[in-house]
Amino acid sequence: MDLRSLLRPASQLLNPLRCLSTPRAAATAAVSLPLTSSRGHKTTARTKRALKMAPHDSFLPSRTAAFPADDSIIYNPPASEASPEHTPFIFLPRNDPRRLAIMRLRSSSNDPTAYSQANGELPPEMRYKRREAKYNLTKEHIEEMRRLRNEDPLTWSVQKLARKFECSTVFVQMAAPAPPEHLQWLKGKMERKMERWGPKRTQAREDRKRRAEMLYRGEL
Amino acid sequence: MKRIRPSRWSGQLLQARCGAGIAAARQPFLLAARCQSTSSAAAHDSTPIDSPPPLPAPSFARAAQSAKLAALHARLSLSKKIPLQTLARALVTPSADANPNFNNTNLAYLGSTIVNYHVLEYLVCKWPRLPMAILYEALRAYSGDASLQQIARRWGVESAAAPGEEVDPGLLQWKAGEEQVVNTRWGYIRSDKAPAWRRGLSSRVVLDNDFGDQVSSAAPEKPEFDSLQSEAFGSVVQAVIGAIYTHCGREEVKAFVKSHILSRELDPSTLFEFKLPTRELAMLCAREGFEAPVARLESETGRLSRTPVYVVGIYSGKEKLGEGAGPSLDVARRKASMASLKAWYLYSPGNKVRVPSDMMEEGAKPWTAPYIDIGEII
Repeated sequence: MDLRSLLRPASQLLNPLRCLSTPRAAATAAVSLPLTSSRGHKTTARTKRALKMAPHDSFLPSRTAAFPADDSIIYNPPASEASPEHTPFIFLPRNDPRRLAIMRLRSSSNDPTAYSQANGELPPEMRYKRREAKYNLTKEHIEEMRRLRNEDPLTWSVQKLARKFECSTVFVQMAAPAPPEHLQWLKGKMERKMERWGPKRTQAREDRKRRAEMLYRGEL
Repeated sequence: MKRIRPSRWSGQLLQARCGAGIAAARQPFLLAARCQSTSSAAAHDSTPIDSPPPLPAPSFARAAQSAKLAALHARLSLSKKIPLQTLARALVTPSADANPNFNNTNLAYLGSTIVNYHVLEYLVCKWPRLPMAILYEALRAYSGDASLQQIARRWGVESAAAPGEEVDPGLLQWKAGEEQVVNTRWGYIRSDKAPAWRRGLSSRVVLDNDFGDQVSSAAPEKPEFDSLQSEAFGSVVQAVIGAIYTHCGREEVKAFVKSHILSRELDPSTLFEFKLPTRELAMLCAREGFEAPVARLESETGRLSRTPVYVVGIYSGKEKLGEGAGPSLDVARRKASMASLKAWYLYSPGNKVRVPSDMMEEGAKPWTAPYIDIGEII
């Protein structure tokens, strides 16, 4: 039996006592001494003894039955990514036997397949930009948008129009595209800017693009 | 109903040598002699006139003496019905002998149709929701030339240094270099009238070849050495399969394809490449009538550190579709969307799916229709 593992909880029990007894320093000198030694493991034997840990209960066979216990399967997979071969419940077709089995399980009281936690609460929603269809624009709005964009594409940029008409930038680009000479000018401006980039920034941009491609191929 | 007996057709494979005179691509000796020329006259004088020119590939008469052929026959556990001469013919590629009466072109084409049929029906029944592009790539992974070359090499097929009459008939007769005399590419050729038309995926179902690659009627540009080599080795596997079908029939060839080609492992989840996974998932949920997908942060660690890890789950209503982990919230969300999309596409009815050709067996159980998906997300 490892003495150290027994002593550690015992010393933690004594900790509050130690705190209470600090005013009487002289009297409690013996108690405030740590019971577990804090010196390093300077020999192989001590290191080995310190690192010897009992396996977690989930790795041990069930001890509910007396010895010799029945054969039991130890299933303790390491934490890992879920495989795409596990089809979620709603992706299963109507006549798939797995769907019927899960529905039978769910109709009973305890449902092991439900992904939600025990108290029925889902994890917090993330905040990110997502599409919310508003359908707030009429034909007149779009004509007005086109007129503004054609008159002065510099002032009425995509961002500004989107903010004015409360729609997405993609919609502005589709409904009121800029005149071709303005697009040409923008392209030239971007090219002039890119020429000024040094090797580091160019490399960083390329790397970012390559990382995105790798992510979409599932290599990252 | 009368049964077709392909084994009765196999006689012509062995009799080809008798009609050697009708060989079209093989030039007759008298035409080959250049009578008007003076430069080659000296070379012709030294050889006796009535000795035929050397054959481009070893004669089938020597097949029975080849130890390599017998070893290959035994290694593949081929039936006794398949003679060594047919196996020798399967090893002669059109690059060595352009005459279709002696090379493996016809056997290889027959074999390729059989392999592609069995692989494709397996893929469609096993993963009914695979998109067309992934289906083509999966088919190529099973029965493309590169995979068939691996199979041929594992069978122990070796190529001769150069094809010729004196070479052991158990070696692959193949050479790279000159332009391909015989066209071995098969498929529907698109018309040249509208070259600007988009070559969409759905048109590849009808046009183009089995793998969705374009076939051009014009002379192909000079292919690489590697592709020529894999084509030559791949044609051996296809020709052997064609020979098994010709001599032994349907059941044997199906068992052979199953044990040599379909037994290879393929993970289709590695074939995917997405462009806008979050939008694709939203479109999928809208099409199928599920609630719109929502990303939820399941757990995180080290948000203020250099290497944070976020675990994000995608939920539709209360159902979880997939989860992904990544070093930033955005990456994790996109990975989770890709995982959910893969979970949709890689739905499989089970590991033991029945394929239509199972019904050809005697005493097969009644057919139940496989799951057929309505199509890709557009």
